Amino acid sequence: MKHKIRFTINREVKEIEVEPNKTLLKMLREDLDLIGVKEGCGAGECGACTVLVNNKPVNSCLMLAVEVDGKELLTIEGLSDGINLDSIQESFLKHNAIQCGYCTPGMVMSAKALLNRNPHPTEEDVKEALAGNLCRCTGYQRIVDAVLDAAKKGEGK
Amino acid sequence: MRKFEYLKPDSIKETISILSQYGGKAKILNGGTDLIVEIRDKIIQPEYVVDIKAIPQLNKITYSEQDGLHIGATVTLNEISNSKVVQRNYPILAEACKTVGSYQVRNRATLVGNISNASPAADTAPPLLVLEAKVDIIGPTGEKIVPINEFFTGVKKNILKKGEIVTCVIVPSLRDEWTGVYRKQGRRKDVDLATVGVAVVCIRNEIRIALGAVAPTPIRAFKTEELLKGKTIDESLLEKAGISVLTEVSPISDVRSSQEYREEIIKVLVRRAILQAKGEHIL
Repeated sequence: MKHKIRFTINREVKEIEVEPNKTLLKMLREDLDLIGVKEGCGAGECGACTVLVNNKPVNSCLMLAVEVDGKELLTIEGLSDGINLDSIQESFLKHNAIQCGYCTPGMVMSAKALLNRNPHPTEEDVKEALAGNLCRCTGYQRIVDAVLDAAKKGEGK
Repeated sequence: MRKFEYLKPDSIKETISILSQYGGKAKILNGGTDLIVEIRDKIIQPEYVVDIKAIPQLNKITYSEQDGLHIGATVTLNEISNSKVVQRNYPILAEACKTVGSYQVRNRATLVGNISNASPAADTAPPLLVLEAKVDIIGPTGEKIVPINEFFTGVKKNILKKGEIVTCVIVPSLRDEWTGVYRKQGRRKDVDLATVGVAVVCIRNEIRIALGAVAPTPIRAFKTEELLKGKTIDESLLEKAGISVLTEVSPISDVRSSQEYREEIIKVLVRRAILQAKGEHIL
């Protein structure tokens, strides 16, 4: 039986019907065409599917779509206003914190959540916040630098 | 994922009636970080998934000197480790909660889920064992409060019977001055299960020791505790404690570690945890 759910996604209210056995990740990608969110491991270990639910980063592969009823979601697609990139995205570009790019949406969303709750993180804070996001290309240093720089500019809105 | 019905009761009573009716066909969905992976991997195939997060009284965390700490079933690990009351009164628990999974996982995973899943490597179990926590269980025949030491019955098995649900974990006030630490050895700092986990609490002339990932269930090392009781801790006693602990555990070889490495690391961690809890400076 499908369930009717209503939620806010990237500042837009949506009402759709979903099967209970569909993960949030699958709903975002298949039903809402938000393919910025990626499936890596599908088991909560790589963080490629990280999105914000009620301002908190979660693995969307470990959540059922029906569970977001009444909640507020933010994905990588909702970060920029369509013209200007978010300061974290700018900082990733400036620091070349990207190679293949597969982990990037999840990394950026984890970083976004960190700067929301802690606008002045230490390097240790950044590493802790990103520990659940795996990157096989960059060796992490540029990513950590990018997040620290975004924070330093006080632009982690 | 295989099809299932999604149910979202808003009371404990309704939950128990659903669980009693469907028995093994129903599974509780709390943080989902174990359940959804198990469904995806076809380890379990429930026909009914019962989301308990709409039950108001389960999402509370309360503390009083009289009654201790009450952690409701749906309180997340991040809520516990960020709680000022937990940081102040049970720092060992705040620290242990932070060692589970990743920040994202801890925004969903719960302490009650961690123990109910009953993995031998559950990071919150050793601290709860040395804090002598109790598990509040409600079922068709009423409520019972069970010492956590009796809760685990085997690998991924607990004492819950058909229709029963853990509503809360109660950590008693320790009244006397105490110190405690949780030491976890893993292959990497985050997003890994414990290869070995050791919790130690020093209180009065007692040293309490509990371990994870070294036996079919998380365990208290009662014999070793007896050996240490009232004695002055020195290197020779610590060595005896390490040897004694090994007689109380039954580590296996698995993907994370060989049995031999586990045995070695158990001795190291027990020594370090005792010294650290005693306020000694160690690495």
